[in-house]
Amino acid sequence: MVKSWKPFFVTILIVLVLFPFIYLLLLSMSSGWAFPQIIPSNFGFDNWKAITQSEVGLFTALMNSILIALTVASIATFGGFILSRIVAYHKQKNSLILISYFPYILSPVVFGACLSFFFMKVNLFGNMGGVIIAQLIISLPYALIFFGSFWNEKNRNIENLVATLGGNKIVSFVKVLLPLAKGLLLVCFFQTFLISWFEYGLTAIIGLGKVQTLTIKVFLYIKEANFFYGALSSCLLIMPPVILLYLNKRFVFNRMS
Amino acid sequence: MKISEPMLLKNRGNIGILLFFGVIIMPFAIAFLYALLYSFGLVGILNDGFTIAYWLTVLSAPQLGYSFLYSALIAAVSVIFSVGLSLFTVLYLKKALNKPFINFMLYMPLAIPGIVSAFFTYQLFARTGFFSRLSYQLGIITEAASFPDLINDQFAFGIILTFISLLAPFFILFYLNLYKNENLEALERVAISLGANPKLATLKVSLPILLKKSQTVVLLYFIFLLGAYEVPLILGQESPQMLSVLILQELRQFDLNKIPEGYTMAVIYTSVVSLITFFIFRSQKNKVIHG
Repeated sequence: MVKSWKPFFVTILIVLVLFPFIYLLLLSMSSGWAFPQIIPSNFGFDNWKAITQSEVGLFTALMNSILIALTVASIATFGGFILSRIVAYHKQKNSLILISYFPYILSPVVFGACLSFFFMKVNLFGNMGGVIIAQLIISLPYALIFFGSFWNEKNRNIENLVATLGGNKIVSFVKVLLPLAKGLLLVCFFQTFLISWFEYGLTAIIGLGKVQTLTIKVFLYIKEANFFYGALSSCLLIMPPVILLYLNKRFVFNRMS
Repeated sequence: MKISEPMLLKNRGNIGILLFFGVIIMPFAIAFLYALLYSFGLVGILNDGFTIAYWLTVLSAPQLGYSFLYSALIAAVSVIFSVGLSLFTVLYLKKALNKPFINFMLYMPLAIPGIVSAFFTYQLFARTGFFSRLSYQLGIITEAASFPDLINDQFAFGIILTFISLLAPFFILFYLNLYKNENLEALERVAISLGANPKLATLKVSLPILLKKSQTVVLLYFIFLLGAYEVPLILGQESPQMLSVLILQELRQFDLNKIPEGYTMAVIYTSVVSLITFFIFRSQKNKVIHG
């Protein structure tokens, strides 16, 4: 009988997937882990209680991340939907879509560094407004590309029908297009939420370290060699996407595919 | 009632297209233009007129070339390993991967951002990390310093491993979806019924289709990795550095005379990446037209 290796590979796969989550959770609950101990000497929820302590700043970072991600996701989804229609009905559609890829595909930090002069000039350097605008420069093109497939022949014909039956632009948009695109809008909202939630480079450059988000905190704790708080910030960073995954896999997967 | 051309189809406006240019193109254009002007000495604190000195300095020094080569190698190795690993997983384990629990497991790594993944790699492979401790307990090493240098090392082991851990889950799901959408199972069955053995059917039917259909995505991911920042910042070495880290370091120099060189590098990087992207999309368009 030929022995199948498949169960072995599947087990390895599951272990590899779960290992980072378990490791980071355990590390976030630890304190005191001298070499060469395999398991930390102290376990508890002390680190997690520190979330609410103002001097640690994790709660502020969490709130900043939520606020920035929600704002970016809302504006990018709505703006991207409108812009994608403009592009989809334009004669030079393909060229405009190609151009839309450039801000999205370039290194955000290099892009941000080249733009920082202008952010400084309009007082958007080192504050939350600046970080939100900087992140929109990346997430808006993403949303635009994302909605590209929505403006197909079928939906165009529905728009035509509404216009033929006397509906104006607003009626067509509110009563027809938005309900039709509801599912896509929701997916795009969560996708752009995650782009913002995971963003580090632009936030560090334009936020100047003053706008503390969870990704900035993770990096700070790595630099300080405070791995327990680093793991704690990582857990806070991972939690929302895991919840989104549990709710609907499409909320997380569509990115860049 | 006069029914004219449907009004929603009329793109009135140049307002719409102006909005598109203002929101999407303008930031990119002004960032590029500013960097270009800075690199030629036309704007900036210490610049006092047109010069090509910064370009000559950057182009004659090996730093940027090494960085390009180093970044391209890291990106290529990471993408090749990720694609290979994903193809093997999908083609060998496709039935198991479609079970609800395992399928859910496949999505889990997508919840981990690059910065956390880099932190996790550091935790595992640093000289005082998990595997070093494990090696010590198993008697393989006698002190932390004996553990091989796998973080901030010259072969970029940590960076490549982190990139693979970020890319492979995405590619597994991508190929799994592609396998279903392209109806490859049915094609394989046809090949088998025509006399091919199952392995040959997978290798000669499914594999070439998956590779061909994923070309653009693979190339785009190569470009993404070329500009990666946080992972090489945490796990990279001092020299050579990956492109984004090098450019940022040059732009944030205390020596203000060096900043234009940073902008020159940014212009070169942006131009190269834009050209690659342009050719990727052009070749894709040609395939649609001619293929």
